[in-house]
Amino acid sequence: MYEVFEHTADLGLRVRANSLEGLLAEAGRGLFSLIVTNLEQVKSVQERLIRIEGGEPEYLLFDWLNELLYTFDVEGLLFCEFSLQLDATGLTAMCRGEAMQLDRHGMDHEVKAITYHGLKVQQASSSCDGHDRWLAEVIVDI
Amino acid sequence: MAKQSFHGPLQRVNDCCWRIPKSYKPGMRVDGLIYASEQMIEQIKGDQAPEQVANVAFLPGIQHASLAMPDIHWGYGFCIGGVCATDPDEGGVISPGGVGYDINCGVRLVTSNLSYQDVKPHLAELVDQLFRHVPTGVGRGGKYKFNKQELRQLMQQGPAYLQDRGLTTAEDLEHTEGRGCLDGAISDFVSDRAIERGSGQCGTLGSGNHFLEVQVVDAIFDEVAAAAMGLQKDMVCVMIHSGSRGLGYQVCDDALKQLRGVPERYGIELPDRQLACAPINSPEGERYLGAMCAAANYAWCNRQLLMAQARDVFAQVFGRSWHELQMNLIYDVAHNIAKLEMHQIGGRDRRVWVHRKGATRAFPPHHVELPEAYQSIGQPVLIPGDMGRASWVLAGQVGSMEQTFGTACHGAGRRMSRTQAVKQAKGRRIDQELAARGVIARARSWKGLAEEQPDAYKDVNTVVDVVHRANLASKVARMRPIGVIKG
Repeated sequence: MYEVFEHTADLGLRVRANSLEGLLAEAGRGLFSLIVTNLEQVKSVQERLIRIEGGEPEYLLFDWLNELLYTFDVEGLLFCEFSLQLDATGLTAMCRGEAMQLDRHGMDHEVKAITYHGLKVQQASSSCDGHDRWLAEVIVDI
Repeated sequence: MAKQSFHGPLQRVNDCCWRIPKSYKPGMRVDGLIYASEQMIEQIKGDQAPEQVANVAFLPGIQHASLAMPDIHWGYGFCIGGVCATDPDEGGVISPGGVGYDINCGVRLVTSNLSYQDVKPHLAELVDQLFRHVPTGVGRGGKYKFNKQELRQLMQQGPAYLQDRGLTTAEDLEHTEGRGCLDGAISDFVSDRAIERGSGQCGTLGSGNHFLEVQVVDAIFDEVAAAAMGLQKDMVCVMIHSGSRGLGYQVCDDALKQLRGVPERYGIELPDRQLACAPINSPEGERYLGAMCAAANYAWCNRQLLMAQARDVFAQVFGRSWHELQMNLIYDVAHNIAKLEMHQIGGRDRRVWVHRKGATRAFPPHHVELPEAYQSIGQPVLIPGDMGRASWVLAGQVGSMEQTFGTACHGAGRRMSRTQAVKQAKGRRIDQELAARGVIARARSWKGLAEEQPDAYKDVNTVVDVVHRANLASKVARMRPIGVIKG
C-alpha cells in the first residue's frame, strides 16, 4: 500500500509491502497515482522492460522511480502493473500500462523529480503476521 | 521524513533577522541567518526549514552565513528561500541541491499600454485564448521545435539564439538578468536524456506553482522607479513564472547521480544526501557548472518563448501588434541558480558562487551588471504572490550587497503543505471563488488549483515588508491578478 504524507513544498510518498520487490512495485504505482487522477483507468496495453543496476535498496528505489518518471516524461507512458525480479546486480521489471490520455486519466501533478531528501528504505522483522515488512519514504519535487 | 517542528536556537539579531549560532551543530562552519519578522518566525519554526539553514552551513568554503529570506519554507536539502556563497579559493563547493531541480526557475514581467478598463470586457476571452495557445500542464508539447544541434546552440547562447527567428529583440536581451546567458555554459555536458526531455518543452509553462498571469498595477510606492520601469497605476501587465522544464530537472538529476560518493572522496561530511556537492575546482564540480549554466540559458529561452506566445495572443485579442500594445519586457529574474559574482567579504572583493534556491538577485543602483535604464533605481526584483492577492515589483538596494550577497526574497512562500491545502479545498470550487474576487483562473488540474489556492501561501505583503525594512530591496509597485493560467 502507499499513502501521501505531508511536506510543505512538495509531496511525500510512504510505501509498505511484504517484500522489496513488492515495495518497488507499490512505489511505482504510488508515483503514477501522484501524476494522474484515475490510476484505475490505466489499461495494460503496452509493455516495457526496465533494467536498473545496483544493490543498495535506497538507490535502487530512487533509480527505479527515476526511470519510470523519465519514461513518462519522454514517451507519456503510464504504468499500472509491474512484474519485478531482483537479482545479485539489480532489478528487472516488466511494466504494463498505456500512453496518457488527459481526458480519461486526468492530470494531478507534474512530478519534476525524485529527491534524496529523507529517502529511506527500511526492513522491520517485527510484523505480527510473521512476514518481513518493508517501508519506504521518498519526497518528490512538484 | 514527516513534518517536524524546529526546536533549535533562534536568537534575535534585530526585528528583521534571526540567528542560528554555529554552535548549534558540530560541523556548521558559519551561523545561519533568517530574515523574518517576529510574527513570521513562529510559523517558520513549524517545519524543518531552519534545520535546513543549519545544514547548509556545513558546506565547505561557505562565506559569511547560511542565509534564508522571509519566504523560507521546507524544501529538500536547501530550504526554499536559501542563499549561500562559496569561495572556490577556500575549497568552496557547488551543490546542485542549492540550485534545485528546476534550474533557473524565474519570473518575467511585461508591460502594456492597456488599462484595466480596456481589458475588462475582453478578459474572459483573453484568458481562454492564453489557456488555449500557451501549453500548460503535463504532456503538451510546445509549438517551437529544435533539433539536438539547435538545442545545444540555444543552450550556449540563451535567448540571443532566438533573435534570428524574430523571437527576441535587443531590448528583451537588455532587460534579462545577465542578458539571458551564463558564460560558463558547456552544452556538451548536458546528457542526451536531458535533451530528450527538453526538446519539445521549450516554450511550455509546466505545472505546480508555475503560471502566466494577467495583472493590474493597483498601487505605486516609488514614482521615479516605476516610471523608469514603464509602470503606472491601472496598467495591465503579464507575469510569467516558469523554468528549465524537464531538461533542467534531468541536468540536476544527472549531477546528483554523478556525485554519489563524491563528497566522501573529498572528505566532505554532509547531514543530508540532497546537499551532495563537489569542490568548484574539481572535474565533478566543473561538469555540473557547465551543464547547469546551459540549462539556465535554456530556461531564459523558455520564458522568452512563453512571452512571445503571450504577446501573440494579446495582439490577436486586441487587434494590434505587440509593439503597438507596448508589451515591453521590464525584466526577467532567475530565482533558482548559482552565479559567480563579485562581493565584498572581510573588506576585500572576492569572486564567490552565490547559490540562490528560491531567492532573487537584488543588485542596488549603479551596479555594473544593470542595464542603463535601471542604473539609478536598482534592479527590478519581481515577487509573485498568490493568485488571489498580489504580486510585487521591488528595486534592489544597497543593503542587499552588505547583508545577503545581493539577494532578496522570491515569493510569498508556502504556509500550508499541498496535502493540507487539498484537504481544505475539499468540496470547494477554487476557480469560482477566484472569479468572485475578480480573477479568472484556468487550470488543467483541480488538485493543482487547490494546492495553489491563495490560503496555501503566506501573505506576500508581510514577506515584502521584511525585505523592504531590511533594505534588501524597496517597494516600487503592487499588482493584483485578474487572469491566471496554470498547469
